[in-house]
This record gives sequence, structure tokens and C-alpha cells, in this order.
Amino acid sequence: MKFSYNWLRDLVDQLDAPPHELSQLITIKTAESEGVEQHGNDSVIEIDNKSLTHRPDLWGHYGMAREVAAILGRKLVDPVKPAQFPGAAPVRVSIEDHTLCPRYSALVFENVTVKPSPEWLQQRLEAVGLNPINNIVDVTNYVLAEIAQPMHAFDAAKLLGDEIIVRSARAGETIKTLNEESYTLDPSNLVIADPSCAVAIAGIIGGADSAISDSTTRIVLESANFNASSVRKTSSKLKLRTDASMRFEKAQDPVNTIRGLERAFALLQEVSPGIRLVGGLADNYRPAPVSPPVVLPLDWLDRKLGRAVPAEEVRRILESLEFRVEEIAPRVFSVFVPSWRVTKDVSIKDDLVEEVGRMIGYDSIPPVAPLTPARVPPASPEREFHHRVREMAAAQGFTEVHNYSFISEEMARVFSVDLSAHVQVSNPIASDQNLLRTSLLPGIWKNINDNARHFDQFRLFEIGRAIHPDREVPHFTAAFYAKDDGAAALFELKRLAECLLPGVSIRPAGTTQSYEHPRRTGDVLHGESNVGRLFEFHPRMIEGGRSAVLDLDLTRLMQLQPTPERYQPLRRFPESAFDLSVLAGPRALIADVQSALEKLAGDGLLSIVFLREFALDDGARSLSYRLTVGAPDRTLSAEEVGAVRSRIIDGMRSAGYELRI
Amino acid sequence: MPPEQIISELHAAALAALEQATTLDALEAVRVEALGRKGKLAEVSKTFGKLAPEERARVGKLLNSVKQELETRLDERKDALSSVAQDARLESEWIDLTAPAPGVRPGSLHPITQVQRELEELFVSLGFAIMDGPEVETEFYNFDALNIPADHPARDAQDTFWLKDGRLLRTHTSPVQLRALEKFGPPLKMIAPGRVFRNEEVDASHEHTFYQLEGMMVDRDVSVAHLLYFMKTLLSAIFHRDVTVRLRPGFFPFVEPGFELDIQCLICGGKGCPVCKHSGWVELLPCGLVNPAVLRYGGVDPDQWNGFAFGLGMTRLAMMRYGIDDIRLFAGGDLRFLRQF
Repeated sequence: MKFSYNWLRDLVDQLDAPPHELSQLITIKTAESEGVEQHGNDSVIEIDNKSLTHRPDLWGHYGMAREVAAILGRKLVDPVKPAQFPGAAPVRVSIEDHTLCPRYSALVFENVTVKPSPEWLQQRLEAVGLNPINNIVDVTNYVLAEIAQPMHAFDAAKLLGDEIIVRSARAGETIKTLNEESYTLDPSNLVIADPSCAVAIAGIIGGADSAISDSTTRIVLESANFNASSVRKTSSKLKLRTDASMRFEKAQDPVNTIRGLERAFALLQEVSPGIRLVGGLADNYRPAPVSPPVVLPLDWLDRKLGRAVPAEEVRRILESLEFRVEEIAPRVFSVFVPSWRVTKDVSIKDDLVEEVGRMIGYDSIPPVAPLTPARVPPASPEREFHHRVREMAAAQGFTEVHNYSFISEEMARVFSVDLSAHVQVSNPIASDQNLLRTSLLPGIWKNINDNARHFDQFRLFEIGRAIHPDREVPHFTAAFYAKDDGAAALFELKRLAECLLPGVSIRPAGTTQSYEHPRRTGDVLHGESNVGRLFEFHPRMIEGGRSAVLDLDLTRLMQLQPTPERYQPLRRFPESAFDLSVLAGPRALIADVQSALEKLAGDGLLSIVFLREFALDDGARSLSYRLTVGAPDRTLSAEEVGAVRSRIIDGMRSAGYELRI
Repeated sequence: MPPEQIISELHAAALAALEQATTLDALEAVRVEALGRKGKLAEVSKTFGKLAPEERARVGKLLNSVKQELETRLDERKDALSSVAQDARLESEWIDLTAPAPGVRPGSLHPITQVQRELEELFVSLGFAIMDGPEVETEFYNFDALNIPADHPARDAQDTFWLKDGRLLRTHTSPVQLRALEKFGPPLKMIAPGRVFRNEEVDASHEHTFYQLEGMMVDRDVSVAHLLYFMKTLLSAIFHRDVTVRLRPGFFPFVEPGFELDIQCLICGGKGCPVCKHSGWVELLPCGLVNPAVLRYGGVDPDQWNGFAFGLGMTRLAMMRYGIDDIRLFAGGDLRFLRQF
């Protein structure tokens, strides 16, 4: 919103702060200024629209002038001269639904001369970014820019009859508008109509057929008030934002319609000499219930601000902003909110904290530490755990990446996930970013191939959420890329899994996905719980090298974390160890042989460690283990150890294994 | 030959042999020959029985002194030879310490993780709990319960990714305010760092995915003065120096009054420079006193409790801290960038 400094000077008595200083003051006290620009002999202060969404009154110069007057302690000059419009209204206004149109006021003028506006008026409009059109339209825009009341002038000759109807559009009703567009409407849109057809989209734009032209001699001047959310809905549906709709969607003051007509009446006499009012005011108004005054206890106000503000100062500030203040009890004010602040902005005492706070200046409030009991905050074990995982992965050489939550349908297919299993975005940033990731793999895959262009070997990981329709699951996904045969990467990631959850094991996957290496894929297990997957990417998916991936479900990983239990007393009796080498088939599993040995060893087994494997000429392998046995209460004799060993050997043999002894 | 003479000759010969020995083995041979149980001096002593008692005493004394001297000299010589041998071995064990050490170097944590971790530790040290909320949110938590009803123009400021099931991707971390109030109730001091989404075109300074940190304190009589105190304390800790802050009006429906918090420009100290667009101030975070409507939505009686809330842009903070001029680098996954942190 652009504010003309010269215009503000008309409305604030003795405004002497120069434009830049004024711009700063407005930023500190009212709304954010984006700077000052010179426009001819005027300066234009540009205020960020986002900081005005709650202030319908600041969409006109008069509202900002009221702020400036309050900030500087000057007198506000009202540009509107009260006028009387007695007599019968020449038009009848029917309003179908007063919720959508609380008020519709209108005057009819004749003997109108349409011509360019005087220079001063054109300059004012141009300064604030409005295009001068002709004297009649310019007056409506001037009132809009001055007191935030959007208005519209119809060529009365182009309207049928003398009835103005505010109604919902009929389904499929079309209207050609001033911007030379045509819109097809539906019943959610409000229109202004004569008995035959729609002549304006309410609160947004007028129709082309009833527009003011050079031949216009008689006009109907509309000054109405429309429901904010209705205007907003229609405006966004039609993708049509106008100076009027921007104001109405902020909830304008219905009281202002008459002020708009009064102001326009004065201006029209100046820009169209000889213009004559026909009859009196047409005004269809159903006032909203009067809001009760806001009770403001001054002690409460002081506690909210954290600083005492004298009662007289609170009163002075509120009155300078045209709130009416009554003291209804010692140090308790009853505050009547002006009509232009009540529609959207001020309804509770907290709103008044802002009025007083900004005017005394927040810089007058000294920072104070709160006097509250010290409390230990609730723990956030999940977040702590995620950070621990991050630290551990980084210590093992992995670098953290962040990937987007969006993936394409093509990516979903690559990773064999049903499209319907994804949460879908209605308005994606790009048509190929319309699904939410159900896994971190697509992002990690891209990271691998992107970085393979720069590095021969690298490790990376991400912690992020896999998003499913019914839940969000935090995952840890790590990748190790190298230009080699890929075996080392798998074992490095297996070691990482063991670091993150002691006791995990890998079980070769029965079935594999198309993106997985069919012979290098396994489930990560802890006991019987599946906590993730360890695999090598199918070599066709990776450029120039091999890449293994570890993907873990962090929720399960956290649940399974070991908690330190009561300690085990240190052994008092020596233990005995012996090695066994088992002959196994070419694809026998080291873990399977080990668990067979464990079972046969029984309770006396303290530990079993795989030592090495050794390939034999016939393709078989010799797998060597070291077993350590012992008893808690004595030293095992050589015979006892020998007996255990023989039991294992015999057992293995009857299970079909040959042993190298 | 008188025994004295034999002893002197053996003595001289042993000394000569000792000097000539260049290895520890040769030296040992010298010792065995001269001083061993079957050595030459032992042989001599066997002949003492034939001597007169006073002569025997004299010769015995001489023999002992020669033995002692030889022992000492042998030890000295042995030390000398050992140290030469050790020197030779050490010399042969030379290692080139400038060779690269094998093994893995640590990777690095994402710069936003690092900023987040630092902030979390700061807030925890001040008694704040760390909370979390879903990235897929309902319209209720993201907007309505934050006092932003449908058709409120404030929704314009937050371009939203809507989901086909009617939910949305959270546009801010503020919904966690509600979730935290529902879960823990007052009094409460909490922060909620996390990923948020806005449907914006991506360029060097705009991202559709970024990170925020929400903060809230709800207690009895929380004031603007308390908010100022926490913000000043925290920002001084974040920037590792005393910062000057100012509040000015800002409109966010979930706070009342609402503020934009500026810090005095750290580059120019407030004199005005390009970084602060010559204003002396840099806009840093929105904050305010929690709107009673939000407290009510969270099941908290605003007549008994009130609070402050703020939202810190962690992505922006990371950009400021490391001088990162392209926001797209954060989600680019490029290790050439990420390894710098």
C-alpha cells in the first residue's frame, strides 16, 4: 500500500516530520515500511501489505493519518464534511442476504460531465499507483485511497429500471467486466444486478456494459459494504484481485459507506461542475450487533507489558486512536472500540495491550527474567537418539545430507512402491514432485549418482521421515559408494548397523526388489524383529562403481536399544578355548554353522568367534571358529573340555558336516 | 714364573682382548676365558695351595683386585657395545611419518543440524523441552487452532501444499504449540525445531522446504518484558556477543500483541550498511504473546495462564552464520558443500 506524504499532510495538522523519519516511525509504531520513493514533488511511503491484513482502516490515507497524528501528538483533520441527502431515494436497493452485504448505500446524480480530472487529483492517484481514467471514476478511486471505502459508479442510463439487487449469481451467469474479461459465475459469487442481469461482481469489479463513458450524463454511485470472506472466496476463485477486493477482504467498516458518499459528493461538485443530486440517499443497512466495550484492568495491562504505564497515559493513547475510555472502577477502563477497528482487529483486552504497547514504544520496556520455579523439562528421548545416531554415523565417516520430501511417480516405480501407498500433493511445485516419499532411498540414490561424478569413494547418510498415509516413520539411510567390487562397502555398513544396535544380524533376503543386487541383499534383524535392510544397489543403477545401502527404521532401532542391566561379576576361574574347522558347501552361511556349533556346545559356551574361512579345491569352504568354554564355579579339567569338544564334533558329523581336525 | 707375573700377564691379555671385542658375543667369550669358572684366572688360583701363607694372602689380594677391575671393564665395554647394537637396530626402524595415516576420517553433520543442535542445547540449558510434531498436518492444527480461519488473508502469506486427502504439509512449526499444550499443559517452556514447507518457486533465496524453530513459554503472568529477556539472552548466545534487539508491531493471528523482532545489524553496528539495507536493523524473527484463542484451543484457560511464542528461521540463521548465499545448497546433497561443515 502506497501512502502519499502530501496527502497525509492534508490530514494531519502541522505534520513536520520529514518523509524518511515518518517512514521509520510508522515501522516502529504501526506497520512495516519498505521505504520512501520520490514521486514528482511528493514522497511515497510504501507499507508492506502483509503487515496491514488486520487493519482495514489502514487501506486508506485517513487511517494512516490517524496513526501518524497519534504518534506525533498532532490533530487529525477529517476530509469528510457531513452532508444531508434528504428526500426520496430514486433507486430501491434489495439485499438478498445481509450477511453477505450488510450495507448498500447509493446516490444518483444527473447533469454529469465526463472529462479528465484536474491535475491535482490525477497526481494524487498516480502517486499511490492508481491510473486516472476520468473525473467520475477518479473520484471513486480517490475516496477508496483516502478513506478505504471502495465505490463504483454506474451509468444510470445503462441500468434497467430503478432497482438495485444484491444477490447470489445464478449458476452459469456470465458478466463482462471493466478489465475486458468475461467471467462465468456460480451461486457462491455475489453480484449487483438490475432486474435483467448482473452489472457488477460485488466488491470486486464493475460490469463493462454499465461503465461510465464520455456520453454518460446520469450516474448511480454505489458505496457498499460486503462480507470479507465472501469477497475473498470469489476473488481467489476468479483469480481477480482489485483495489476494491483487497480492501473488502480485510473487513471494512459499514459505517464508512455514508462517509464515502459524503466525500464523493463534495469532490464531484468540484470535478464535474453543474452536477446535480437526484432525490435522496438510498441506504439498505442491517447493522451488526453492537460489540460490548472491552474491559481493560490496568494492573493486568501492566503485567502483560512488564512495565507500569500511568492510567492517564493509557487513556491518552487510546483516545488519540479514537477509542472511547470510561473508568468503571479504580484502575479499570471500559474501552469502546471505534467502528473501523471492531470488524476484524480489536475485540479483546489483549488487542489493547498492543495499542498501548506500540505507542509507549516497546523500547521503553526493560527486559526482565521471569520469576518461575526451575523445572526439569520433559525428556525427548527420540530426538536424543537421532542425534546419537547422527554422531555415530559421522564418526564412522558418513556425511549428513538432507533431501526433499517430494518424489515423482517415476521414482515411486523405480523403488517398487504402489502409487496408492503414497500421500499425494494436490498442488505440487512441479508435476513430477507430486508424491511424498515413503522411503529415503530415492533421494539417497540421486545423491550417490550426483556425487559419483566428483568422488571415487564416499559415505553419506540421511535421517528423515518416510511419510505413509497413516504415519510418519523416521529412517536412517546410509550409503557407501566406491569404485571397486562392492564387498567392502556391505561389510562397512554391516559394521555401522552393529554399532548402532549391538546384537543385530543379517539374514539373506528370500526375495529382492528390482533395485537390489539379487545376491547381496539381506534383512537387518535383532532377534526376530526386522529393523531394516542392507543391500547393494543393483549395479545397473549406479554409475561407475558400486554402492551399498543400509536403511533402518529408527523407531524400532530405538525401542531395541540395550539398557544397561545389573553387571556380571568378573570370572574367577580360568576358561579354556579350542578351535574347530568345519567343512561347508560353497554357499553355506557362516552364521548357520555358528548357531549349529552354539547349540551343541550348550551352557558351558562362553563365546564363539568366527576366525577365518579357507577355500578348498573342490569349491567347498573350511570355516574356522574359536570356542571358549568354562564353568562359573571351578576350572574345567582337560577331560571335561575334551568331552565338550567331542560332543560338538560328533553332533556336527551327525548333522552332516565334516570337520578338519 | 711367579704367580704375580702370571696374573699381570693374564690381566694385560684380557684387557687387550676386551678392547678388541666388537660384538657382545666376542666380549662374552673374553669374559668366559678370563673370569669363567674354568677360566685362566681360576686356573691360576688352583696353584695357590703350594704357596706360603703370607705369599698366598698377597697373591690372593692381587687376584681379587684384577678380577674386580676386569669385571668393571667388561661391564663398561658391554654397555658400550649394547648401545651401539641398539642404535643400529633403531636406525633400521626408520618410518616416514609424513605418509598418510590409513583409516576413515569422520564425516560431517549437516549445517542445519549443527545450528539446530546448538539451539537445542541453549534452550535446554534454560529449561525448555524439545517437542516434535508431524510434517503432514491437519488444517485445524496448522491454521484454525492458530486463529487463522479459512478465508483469513493471513493464509495468503503462507502458500500451502495441500494434500489430496485434505490435509497439508505444515507451513510452520507453530502447530506444535497446540500439540505441546494438549500433551503437557501449563506451565510449559518448549521449542520445536523441524522441517516446514511453502509452495514457493525455488531460487537462490527461496526454498519450498526449510527449517524453523518454534518456541513457547506458558506460565502465570508472562510479559513482553520476559519475552525481551529471553530473546536477548538467546540471541546473544547464538551470535556469541551482546546483541541489541527491538520489537515493532507485526501481525500474526496466533499472537496478540505480535511483533517483528529486529537485531541491530552485526555488520555495521547500527550505522547502516548494505546488509541491513542502511536501516541499522535486521529483521530476525516474529514473536508475540500467545493469543488467548490459541491457549483455549490448547485446552488452557487464558485467565489463568499466558505466554509468549516465537519462530526462528534455522535455515536463515545457518545462511547468516556461514555466509551461504544460495539456499538450494542445503538440500542439494553435494558433498563438496556438506563436507565443509
